[in-house]
Amino acid sequence: MHTDSVTRLSPPVGYGGLAIALVVASILSLSSGAYPVAVGQIIDMALRGFSDDTTARFVVLDVRVPRLLLGALTGAVLAVSGALLQGLFRNPLADPGLIGVSSGAALAAVAVIVLGGSGLAGWSQFAGQWALPLAAFAGGTMTTLIAWKIAHQQGQTSVALLLLAGIAINAIAGAGTGLLTYYADDSALRSLTFWSMGSLAHARWADLWVAGPWMVATLLIAPLLARPLDAFLMGEPVAGHLGYSTNWVKRGAVLLAALGVGAAVAVTGLIGFVGLVVPHLLRQLFGAGHRLLLPACALGGSALLVLADCLARVVVAPAELPIGLVMALLGGPFFLFLLMRHRFA
Amino acid sequence: MRLNRIHRTTALLILWAIATVAQTAPRVISADGAITETIVALGASEQLVGVDTTSHHPPDVVDDLPRVGYLRALPLEGILSLEPTHLITTEEAGPEKTLERVEKAGVDVTQLPVARTPKQTIRRIRRVGALVDRSDQAATLAQRLSEDIQRIRNQMASKQSARVLVLLAAGNHGVMLAGKNTAANALLESLGLTNALDHVSGYKPASRESFLAAAPDAVIIAEASPGQFKPKEWPALTRLPAWQSGQHLTENAMFLLGFGPRLADAMAALASVVPEREATAHAH
Repeated sequence: MHTDSVTRLSPPVGYGGLAIALVVASILSLSSGAYPVAVGQIIDMALRGFSDDTTARFVVLDVRVPRLLLGALTGAVLAVSGALLQGLFRNPLADPGLIGVSSGAALAAVAVIVLGGSGLAGWSQFAGQWALPLAAFAGGTMTTLIAWKIAHQQGQTSVALLLLAGIAINAIAGAGTGLLTYYADDSALRSLTFWSMGSLAHARWADLWVAGPWMVATLLIAPLLARPLDAFLMGEPVAGHLGYSTNWVKRGAVLLAALGVGAAVAVTGLIGFVGLVVPHLLRQLFGAGHRLLLPACALGGSALLVLADCLARVVVAPAELPIGLVMALLGGPFFLFLLMRHRFA
Repeated sequence: MRLNRIHRTTALLILWAIATVAQTAPRVISADGAITETIVALGASEQLVGVDTTSHHPPDVVDDLPRVGYLRALPLEGILSLEPTHLITTEEAGPEKTLERVEKAGVDVTQLPVARTPKQTIRRIRRVGALVDRSDQAATLAQRLSEDIQRIRNQMASKQSARVLVLLAAGNHGVMLAGKNTAANALLESLGLTNALDHVSGYKPASRESFLAAAPDAVIIAEASPGQFKPKEWPALTRLPAWQSGQHLTENAMFLLGFGPRLADAMAALASVVPEREATAHAH
């Protein structure tokens, strides 16, 4: 974690800017999309208490609002989890995928998609439309738990071992996903391709009620870890000497990231780069201290994902781009730019 | 106040106009290539307001229409933005919850069974005809199609009971072998032909050895876009006796495997590369 020559923002200016970005993104999100609904029309409808039963009302209340909320929560959770793990691993390249959440969720989701009609038919029957999100959530948290168990020896958790275990488990889960993909028929293949590119397009209120509480909990609890994580930046022994229970910090950060990201991935599919780029970028503006960084990541992650979702739905309207694809298209080159700038600075 | 009343009257007038227009002119989104073809073949293309990305034919109609994306990932708002009265698609369409919500928004959603036999194809044409109010035209088309199919089947009597290899060149997946449980296999069955790869299920990446071992009597290549399959890159294929003797055909995948109004033409094209019974002796 290096201190940059970039001028740090004063917190009020920084938070203000991010909040404005989020509000602008939200207004854009409510008023943009394939179905034409102007901002004035929304205000009009709101003033009349959304009493008339029109398609415009349906589009705004049942399509765009849940989509906006899910996008904002997902963006916030991904960015905050990224910041937690980057702090824990003391590595700006860490992201929620590192501890196996994404690959575990992907393995479970692909298993449901491919085997839903055969090997896992019982589960699909039992859980109905929730078969995939529940499996993905379980898969994501379980893989993280396994990585944790491997790294946790004699009452101590080695961060380096956690990282390596995560990499190994990612490889195994990836192989499992690959094997299932090989056996997938044409329709399953298309479905899993779309799932792995992430989408907010199918967000409903029901998804929000199920996944939302986990994500909100992650966002509310994460700030408690800010001070201990700051101490972690000086090294684990220092944090211990400062009186923090390092095991609890590690457990908390991993658990929060697993639950929050697991819930997000379960309903949106895989969305990359938010967890990597947002904390990385905001650290340069707000400094490495987590007390400022974590709330900034929540705001910045929300604004970025909501904005990317606006793009996803208008670029090829009336069709839609998967948002994971949009994030990778925007995030990849941007991240490269950041790296190059350091390289030649 | 008065302004408000005028606004309200105008709004009512517009709503009434929309309602009347909606009643007289159905607005149909077709999310399936074969269904789109059928709607056009029945002379109801003016009802179409949108199609999905599997709809390519006929190009002079579908190229001008908005595309709502792939039929398994239909966008809720994108569909509603075209103000459709009907969404006609197949059981393969999805996501399910999106279709439910499209219906909830007042659109008449019909998911027709996937057609994999001539009989199912004809039944689907009749159902699409009823949905777009072209039942008479559908009856005529169905009648003609079933006569054409019968004629082609009669011609098959003079053909060998051939083993046919079908390859699918689509997207960036490279070339795939068509095994059992595929539309390609269904097309072969409609003509009483055997799939040379009956030990494979679904579409699998092509290994050069596997089709050499299959020793087919004829080779069919279904390509997603013209020129996608390059025979020069497949010397093991072009060296097959069946290829050397001209028993091969490269055609559009949607034409061959769509099971739509062009089914008889697809069957005829396939039949044309199956060797005659009295032709040169079998190599195997």
